[in-house]
Amino acid sequence: MSLDARVPIGPLSEKWTKCKNELKLVSPTNKRKYDIIVIGSGLAGASAAASLGELGYNVKVFCFQDSPRRAHSIAAQGGINAAKNYQNDGDSVGRLFYDTVKGGDFRAREANVYRLAEVSANIIDQCVAQGVPFAREYGGTLANRTFGGVLVSRTFYARGQTGQQLLLGAYSSLMRQVERGKVKLYSRHEMLDLVLVDGVARGVIARDLTNGNFEKHAAHAVLLCTGGYSNVFYLSTNAKGCNATAIWRAYKRGAYFGNPCFTQIHPTSIPQHGDYQSKLTLMSESLRNDGRVWVPKQKGDKRRPEAIPEGERDYYLERKYPTYGNMVPRDVASRNAKAVCDEGRGVSETGQAVYLDFADAIKRDGREVIRQKYGNLFHMYEKITGENPYHTPMKIYPAPHYTMGGLWVDYHLESTIPGLFVLGEANFSDHGANRLGASALMQGLADGYFIAPYTVGHHLAGRKLPKVSTDGPEFEEALRAAKGRVDRLLKINGKRSVDSFHRELGRIMWDKCGMSRSEAGLKEAIAKIRALREEFWNNVKIPGGNAELNQSLEQAGRVADFIELGELMCRDALNRRESCGGHFREESQTEENEAKRDDENYLYVSAWQHQGDDKEPTLHKEPLAFESIHLTQRSYK
Amino acid sequence: MEKKLNLTLKIWRQKGPQAQGRLVTYPVQGVSTDASFLEMLDVLNEELLKKGEEPVAFDHDCREGICGMCSLMINGQTHGPDRETTTCQLHMRRFKDGDTIVIEPWRAKSFPILKDLVVDRTAFDRVIAAGGYASVNVGNAQDANCILVGKESADRAMDAAACIGCGACVASCKNASAMLFVAAKVTHFAELPQGQPERYKRAQAMVAQMDAEGFGGCTNTYECEAACPAGIQVTTIAKLNREYLKSSFAYAEESKSSEGEG
Amino acid sequence: MGWLRLLGKEYLLNWLIKALGSSIGRKFVMGLTGLLLIGFVIVHLAGNLLLYVGIEDYNNYAHALHSKPGLVLVAEIGLLALFLAHILIAVGITRENRAARPEGYQMRRSKQNRTAATPSALMFVSGAILLGFILLHLADFRFHLRNPGPDGEEPFAKALRLLQDPVSAGVYFVGSLFLGWHLVHGFQSVFQTLGWNHPKYTPLIKKAGVALAVVLALGFASFPVWAMLKKYGVQL
Repeated sequence: MSLDARVPIGPLSEKWTKCKNELKLVSPTNKRKYDIIVIGSGLAGASAAASLGELGYNVKVFCFQDSPRRAHSIAAQGGINAAKNYQNDGDSVGRLFYDTVKGGDFRAREANVYRLAEVSANIIDQCVAQGVPFAREYGGTLANRTFGGVLVSRTFYARGQTGQQLLLGAYSSLMRQVERGKVKLYSRHEMLDLVLVDGVARGVIARDLTNGNFEKHAAHAVLLCTGGYSNVFYLSTNAKGCNATAIWRAYKRGAYFGNPCFTQIHPTSIPQHGDYQSKLTLMSESLRNDGRVWVPKQKGDKRRPEAIPEGERDYYLERKYPTYGNMVPRDVASRNAKAVCDEGRGVSETGQAVYLDFADAIKRDGREVIRQKYGNLFHMYEKITGENPYHTPMKIYPAPHYTMGGLWVDYHLESTIPGLFVLGEANFSDHGANRLGASALMQGLADGYFIAPYTVGHHLAGRKLPKVSTDGPEFEEALRAAKGRVDRLLKINGKRSVDSFHRELGRIMWDKCGMSRSEAGLKEAIAKIRALREEFWNNVKIPGGNAELNQSLEQAGRVADFIELGELMCRDALNRRESCGGHFREESQTEENEAKRDDENYLYVSAWQHQGDDKEPTLHKEPLAFESIHLTQRSYK
Repeated sequence: MEKKLNLTLKIWRQKGPQAQGRLVTYPVQGVSTDASFLEMLDVLNEELLKKGEEPVAFDHDCREGICGMCSLMINGQTHGPDRETTTCQLHMRRFKDGDTIVIEPWRAKSFPILKDLVVDRTAFDRVIAAGGYASVNVGNAQDANCILVGKESADRAMDAAACIGCGACVASCKNASAMLFVAAKVTHFAELPQGQPERYKRAQAMVAQMDAEGFGGCTNTYECEAACPAGIQVTTIAKLNREYLKSSFAYAEESKSSEGEG
Repeated sequence: MGWLRLLGKEYLLNWLIKALGSSIGRKFVMGLTGLLLIGFVIVHLAGNLLLYVGIEDYNNYAHALHSKPGLVLVAEIGLLALFLAHILIAVGITRENRAARPEGYQMRRSKQNRTAATPSALMFVSGAILLGFILLHLADFRFHLRNPGPDGEEPFAKALRLLQDPVSAGVYFVGSLFLGWHLVHGFQSVFQTLGWNHPKYTPLIKKAGVALAVVLALGFASFPVWAMLKKYGVQL
């Protein structure tokens, strides 16, 4: 199967308009004849389901949480980008496009990114109309701030809770469609398999988490909006429940996986403090607007931060990147933090942390101004660490945060399985090898509000979709497979907890496939992961049964998938013998230890095709062509 | 500085929605003061698993205080002893060595227990579905800056919109009333121009659904405000009362003829 | 008579029925009746204070009040309606509120900066005690079921005599304190219920509520004390 991205021909700025003009439409009276399944209720899922419901389709939304409002989009703190140019600082669609492509280190599909920049302004309009309480100036207009990797202020925000407010906006639109009867909610449900009929995605197998009932649901299209897979690292900034099961099962049913090794390690997380730790908490990147990152110049300097005089501090980001300073993109900031800690200049008891210091900002603007900007973040930091950041610098360290990789999709956001659409973080499309801050919210909502509603209609109108019954053989087969897998897990009755496997996987991934990757390390990781998978399926212990709320069982299924996905990530990282964005191969760096891209050999999207559980996946390549911009080695100096 | 605690936990165990529940005592040793409350429960669950017992089921997700999934009545207080803090953000340095901690689920007729400490809060979703939105379809929006919102109004709207929907207000209220939850949403929209067109309908519909779900009424004891991890204030309830009172006079049920698609 | 129809059947009555059907509506009625009853209690206290002014003044006031039996009847029916509404709704919402949590907590602790026994948490209890006090008061003064006095007894003498009954005096004293207790929460609560919560005025309302409660409680409690002191010959 060749990879056709279905990017319209023509000038970049006219592609989306041209595409929309050519898309087939479903007549208003026919829309009610179509059923659509949406998995996941985050920004992408909730916005897509609400929009499709508004159009008149019958939508079913599934989420594993008790309410769609809890999806992890809610935790995004900083903001959402849009090329509004409200600040009159020279912003434009073209500039947002360019920043995003450059930020992604030229590994994203140009046409998708341009479209994202184009619709970014509509997102803000839509959200404001819904009543999202964005920050305002005294005159009543919208306020903006700046984020990493850019030189304009284009980020809209609602205190430190932008993701929450955007998600609640999408959620409220979703609930409006629930009230109208156009959307049916299935909360505390988990998708366990995708059902294909005649090669087209026509339904899912879901498990009701409260009682273990397996359900078959048929539809004319399936949308996966299930977010990313950072939890493959065990410790990440994702919610505990975030998982890759839906996209992984779709991968096993034939959807290609794009750029699995492209993961983002966020530079400003609260460092790890103990073995029992269950997650890492992010401190918004917006803090770098006012905080200064530094470590002691001397190795092993154990003095309290306040006791270290100015001259003995190394503000290494400001020193190395005078133009962008503390606001360099995330991958650059993270890698530099790791580098200074590897040199032995890291702080805190573990040596795995750097300072983020607000003393100068407080001196300059006063404590009250800083409190107004970051009060809730400071409060949160103090809750977790017991230290007061108004008095002593924050300690931060990079943490797995976002996965740019995901299921491969074409310009229509359709995967290699017809009728299977993938939106938001779950797809690979817009961020290349590194995502800029405040772009994830933008992408999730762009996909859900402004892209999928058109392209899904094209699929429905353009393909013959005969009626399918959930009693058909394809549903029965998928149901048997899902049940069989659960039975198999429950029968193992070994000695180790699910969590212990997950932690072990996380350590392997963090050490070998984290901020820095090498051929030897990745090969070692693949061997270790295979052994871990073997042990998991022979020695995991899951108490309780299927027919009840069983959190260990839920987790076991997810970890089993993470183990397999981890292997694919390492395989992809091994294949990509260049450094780009968040993917840093030790074999490919400049003399100054900066990431070195290899456009000659790796200017493509890796799309992996599953061949069977014990077979190696096949690599397909989607070449990346940049028509409108010139490829440069990124520089933020 | 990190210290280790030995604690006695008394945890509500209940097999299923219909089963009889009871408090079961579990000793835990060597809990780090740097651990979060939920991490302490993780440690307990690992130990239970080793002993071949079923782990304690509890709701949690983001573990950073925003998703509203975690709950827990800790020593008779929602989300534990701290103000404006969720259970996941509560850390063990807040407890002393030798403490006994009683852990119960939220209790309300409208929040039936599913298992152990897990309760069903879908009643909140249904209350939002009744009117917690501005009815704008995608594609209708004008330029965002065409709607001016004064900073003070925007701030008040944001204060109310910060609700995380955890249900602590219901759990802490002696009447299991959901008034603070409903008030937060009604206030959020009442403060903004976008919320005006459906203002009266919203107040009526959401209160009617709240009552239908079986939540208790408000008797102005203000325990909800003290319990709320998002700092929602009871001034929102006054606002809701005002909106409701006004709407009772001003709002007429839609006539049948004006009923469109919805 | 269109306006009457509008006011009566089509609008006000419908509104009342609808209001009583919703939790907030019931609270409005609760608060409004409470507020009107507070008004009555204030007037009542003012009248009673004439006991301290002089025998003549008190007697004249009482006679003047009772010289218009029609008015008294209307007032009594009105008061009865207010009380009944207030009490019946209280019973109703208390039952509902209990039903909203069928299984209680094993352990309970407030997160507010206050002690357990606060006025707001015990409105039903203080209200029930108040009701007992009022019933006794009515039995004494209105229906003469206990300690009936001689025919033609002057109001001042009657009040003094009834207040000197040790049981009545005790109940009146405690009842008056509970009235204050009830109003500490009740007064400011009405404003919250009616939607008048404002950062500028609410602290003032709360203080005014406490002051009013204290004045009313001490005012009413002073009468049995005064009567008993008189009984045992203490010179005032």
